Amino acid sequence: MPFATPGRENRTGTLSDHDRFSLAGDASRWEPPGMPATPLLDLRGIDKSFGPVKVLHEVAFTAYPGEVTALVGDNGAGKTTLVNCIGGIHPWDAGDFLFQGEPVRVNSPREAADLGIDIVHQDLALCENLSIVQNMFLGRERRRGLALDDAGMEELATTTLAGLSVRTVTSVRTPVASLSGGQRQTVAIARAVLWESRVIVLDEPAAALGVAQTQQVLELVRRLADKGLAVVLISHNMNDVFAVSDRIAVLYLGRMVAQVPTASVTHAQVVELITTGRSGELGLAR
Amino acid sequence: MMKAGPSPEEIRRHNLGTLLRFVHLRGPSSRATLAEAMGLNRSTIMALTADLTAAGLVREELPRGPGRRAGRPSLVVRPEGTRVYVLAFDLGVDRLAVARVGLGGTILDRREATRTRGEFDPNETVGALAGAARALTRKAGRDAVCVGAAMAFPGTVRRSDDVIRFAPNLEVGDVSLGDALSRRLGLGLPVAVCNDANLGALAEHVRGVGIGCDDLIYLHGDVGFGGGIVVGGRLLGGQDGYGGEIGHMVVNPGGRLCGCGARGCLEAEVGERTLLAYAGRAESPDVSGRDAIRAVVDAADRGDVQARDALHRVGDWLGRGVANLVNIFNPGMVVFGGTLRDIYLGSAAQVRSALATNALSAPRENVKLRTAELGDDATLVGAAEFAFADVLADPVEVLARLRSPEESRV
Repeated sequence: MPFATPGRENRTGTLSDHDRFSLAGDASRWEPPGMPATPLLDLRGIDKSFGPVKVLHEVAFTAYPGEVTALVGDNGAGKTTLVNCIGGIHPWDAGDFLFQGEPVRVNSPREAADLGIDIVHQDLALCENLSIVQNMFLGRERRRGLALDDAGMEELATTTLAGLSVRTVTSVRTPVASLSGGQRQTVAIARAVLWESRVIVLDEPAAALGVAQTQQVLELVRRLADKGLAVVLISHNMNDVFAVSDRIAVLYLGRMVAQVPTASVTHAQVVELITTGRSGELGLAR
Repeated sequence: MMKAGPSPEEIRRHNLGTLLRFVHLRGPSSRATLAEAMGLNRSTIMALTADLTAAGLVREELPRGPGRRAGRPSLVVRPEGTRVYVLAFDLGVDRLAVARVGLGGTILDRREATRTRGEFDPNETVGALAGAARALTRKAGRDAVCVGAAMAFPGTVRRSDDVIRFAPNLEVGDVSLGDALSRRLGLGLPVAVCNDANLGALAEHVRGVGIGCDDLIYLHGDVGFGGGIVVGGRLLGGQDGYGGEIGHMVVNPGGRLCGCGARGCLEAEVGERTLLAYAGRAESPDVSGRDAIRAVVDAADRGDVQARDALHRVGDWLGRGVANLVNIFNPGMVVFGGTLRDIYLGSAAQVRSALATNALSAPRENVKLRTAELGDDATLVGAAEFAFADVLADPVEVLARLRSPEESRV
């Protein structure tokens, strides 16, 4: 007599949980389950030339909400050009730019800002002679009648900084000139958060900082993503990339050679991708 | 005989506890929010808050700020954050800390002292802790009531009677610090003693980076290396409460000698002494362990090859340890606290590489690696949450018991 196969009702709770689990996720998708299927930012086949020099070759790049996507590559690989295309500073020559799955055209930084894309440049673009709150609202001051709504702006700036768990800034009326490098970085990031940006691109946020400040900025970057924003982090420091990123995109001589989950690669593989454009199965075809 | 369903008293006690826990963890909430969150109707919520208000645990007020909605505003239930408090103790190898923590989780007041390493005298330490605690209770208002006390201790503690069984970095022997401290305090309250990393896990789970994550592992680095494992929203204690000793998981058979007597424990491969030895730095009694580790991470960042190499070796072992944990427990999050925060941020590339090569791909693909949000206070906050457990389980009864001796005296 053949062995009786146990009926469904005989299965234990954990097994039926397992069934539910496998039904929910589509095995063919390589993204981790539970992630939104549409990326917030989806670039396909982006080409960009400066005169005779072709800087980007059919670059594909995606950024998901709630994730930190690290953009790495050697000097001259095209990281900054790609970011400038995302931010509307350079128009691209060919390719598709999808925001939340909808094709859009980004012709100026203001159009990018309207979509909710904010770039924190390496030089931060803060005015040293103005206070933290003045910097955060620069060009977009709130008014109450004819006068500026100083109290309202201060309150909003304070709650934004508190919402990012920033405790190192004592008063939002402090002039930026008296802040340390890490604090300035924090203000520049908080400015992007204040305007409810949905994609924040950070260009080398820890380049000029000491260890303690770098660690604080990294934790801040992580918190931004955990709040549901899509964060793009450009960094040369592999350690920072591995500390906070969920996904690593590698540019090599203007080509996107790999975009992989951080959990599936090693330090050595990423370094190999950056320097030679391939690593085992990953990267450019031989 | 089969037990019948819960009695009305039991249901009521459960509901009181649930409501109090909600405002304790989530902050002031309107009656409407509470009704929705607990799935009870508003009149039941009203009766429950009336009981808690009478016991002096919560108060109700009109919502602050301009209301934008039409109609009568729903009253906001606030925890009595200054009148109801607990005492939280943290006995670390390098520091002693005592805090008075109000209902709702605010640290109202605190005292801290550095401890020099070496001989551990239980009497002296308990005296110092009790003295600081008395100073804190004196500063509390006359109508304030202490509803619990708990201590975080870096060692294995038996759950049944809070006796410390093993503490490799603080030589105590089998003593009951909780009883001694309770006698010195004279508040008529027992002092619970719990493993510090277990409490850190609890704190990060309810108040830190792990809110909403029911399966997390907290790793705490001090001189030693502890851990707390939260599975399905509960702390994993094991048969006697010794569970979660991640630091003594053997990752390198025949490796470095550990304080516990075995070789190649995670603590021995990743701990403070190992990092300092690899980096070629002598342990100095003037510099606390935390500062010494930060100095190594800082030197590595500035280009000190030996310090960087030390950090990489330690990060590699840490990654292997995490890989084992990820394979066994499939956690949603692994949190690095204490000195491990600095070690992780300084060697993340090695940790993640070791994780990617050593863990199975299915359990590792969704695990989040995070640093502790509560920082150095994680163990202290955890002790406070542990101390609140009694009053949250049975609010009215506990308060009545605590207040009655005072009334009889007057």
